[in-house]
Amino acid sequence: MSTAAEVSQNNNVGPVMRQGELAQAVVEAAEIDNPDKIIKVEDKVAYLRIQTSDEMILKRQTIEEMLGRPFSMSEIEIELASFAGRIDTQVEYIRFYHAKHL
Amino acid sequence: MANLGRLDWYDIARNTNWQPTYVQEDELFPPQMSGSMGIPLPEWESYDEPYKQTYPEYVKIQREKDAGAYSVKAALERSNMFENADPGWLSVLKAHFGAIARAEYSASTAEARMARFGKAPGMRNMATMGMLDEIRHGQIQLYFPHEYCPKDRQFDWAHKAYDTNEWAILASRHMFDDMMTTRGAVDTALMLTFAFETGFTNMQFLGLAADAAEAGDWTFSNLISSVQTDESRHAQIGAPLVAILIKNGKKAEAQKMVDIGIWRAWKLFSVLTGPMMDYYTPLEHRKQSFKEFMEEWIVTQFERSLIDLGLDKPWFWDQFLEELNYQHHGMHLGVWYWRSTVWWNPAAGVSPEERTWLEEKYPGWNATWGTNWDVITDNLLAGKRELSYPETLPVVCNMCQLPINATPGPTWKVRDFPLDYKGRTYHFCSEGCQWCFEQEPERYKDHLSLIDRFLAGMVQPMNLAGGLQYMALAPGEIGDDAHNYAWVEKIRAARQKAAA
Repeated sequence: MSTAAEVSQNNNVGPVMRQGELAQAVVEAAEIDNPDKIIKVEDKVAYLRIQTSDEMILKRQTIEEMLGRPFSMSEIEIELASFAGRIDTQVEYIRFYHAKHL
Repeated sequence: MANLGRLDWYDIARNTNWQPTYVQEDELFPPQMSGSMGIPLPEWESYDEPYKQTYPEYVKIQREKDAGAYSVKAALERSNMFENADPGWLSVLKAHFGAIARAEYSASTAEARMARFGKAPGMRNMATMGMLDEIRHGQIQLYFPHEYCPKDRQFDWAHKAYDTNEWAILASRHMFDDMMTTRGAVDTALMLTFAFETGFTNMQFLGLAADAAEAGDWTFSNLISSVQTDESRHAQIGAPLVAILIKNGKKAEAQKMVDIGIWRAWKLFSVLTGPMMDYYTPLEHRKQSFKEFMEEWIVTQFERSLIDLGLDKPWFWDQFLEELNYQHHGMHLGVWYWRSTVWWNPAAGVSPEERTWLEEKYPGWNATWGTNWDVITDNLLAGKRELSYPETLPVVCNMCQLPINATPGPTWKVRDFPLDYKGRTYHFCSEGCQWCFEQEPERYKDHLSLIDRFLAGMVQPMNLAGGLQYMALAPGEIGDDAHNYAWVEKIRAARQKAAA
């Protein structure tokens, strides 16, 4: 078990999504859009913590395909309750990242 | 008509800085209101907000969020959640709405100040939406508890709390006024949007949502996590601001405001969120301990992002990590002991099974905090409930306004940090609270804690009845044990079984 002093030494990035259809689509998109990365999903019932290390990209088109309906990137905000790392919001994708690797 | 992509016009549309010709720059942006630390206007124009949103998008998305929250409420209104909920859970709701709902309006004025006086156009754009977000949070968190008012008048405190001098509200108001209503745009952004909203609100609006979902209160779970989706966006006001301050040699100033914000938020959460998560939420519905939620949200996530932006860990970080093990246990003991002075019914949360859980999550709990609860339990078992009420007042910190306490045991660890300033002696619970005061003593010096007011004769008559009247706690609102002491009978049965 890690101590509290050590746990801030991490490189986790990624969205914390409220439970539901969009959260599931984001989990699938995270896998597809970040093929070389291990995606970890923690289920906290009310929310899903979807994480990888250093950088995660989510593409609008991938989420749209996973949902099976039109999706604009800004709609992610309806369920995006928090996130680890920094955020970069673009029209066609959203990116979570750390500038520094610890 | 062809539509431009958002990013093709966003920067131009929100770049509303212009050269004033009728007034000076300092008249348009008074330094006291903008708090811009002498950083020139072109530097502020380099502010690049990471979470970009346009007003048409905002309206569309907020509409969907509200449709979701209100339709969940409507669908579950006949589910008898209130009737079936554990009384400890209802106490979570009462404490939450009372301490939070009206503070959201203060947050709205804070956002309005940033929207008007922030020198960075991007900050003003984000804060305009942030201001509307906070009005939403005030309204929705008054509307949702309103349906419970006819069933239980303690819910009236969702609206009433901030109009009173009840002690927990004195503490909340002292902190929120400090970070929301009395500082310029830059300091407000650092303390409120950065320290408080990217950090601590996750605890109250997502950590607690996980417990709520476990407890089957989907209305509340959905409501507060929806609130946090707004926070998640407008909290990003702080990050590009930190970058500009560091670039312009103001890192120390930024660090100081962030540190004050974190320390002050921690103290308030230790009395509010800690007892909710580790004592009021029914044992079978506790997703994680308060400490585990703090580690998830504040240590693993928030502290990491603070370092990424180029700030340092606060100087008090080791002390803060240490306090995660004990501070809220003391706060809970105090709230339960002085239970007639709060607008909710604190759950003791110390049945045999709950004590086993506490020992597992906080090794050593039984040998320390447990010994205090042993005395209370023994008195209640002996039918001496009067001994489970206080006869004196606690010593209260002149910064966080909360009782000074530390882990009980063979050594006396409670320590007062006194400070003399301009002829008055102030008492603090910790180095952190004393340090906050010392940064700006003139700002804080005239505030009187509830105990100061009592000693000054402002509370009359000088007894419990006078105190309750001063705090506006009417009959029917005064707190008592959430389970009407049923847990004591469980302990009696367990002891009889063990003896047989």
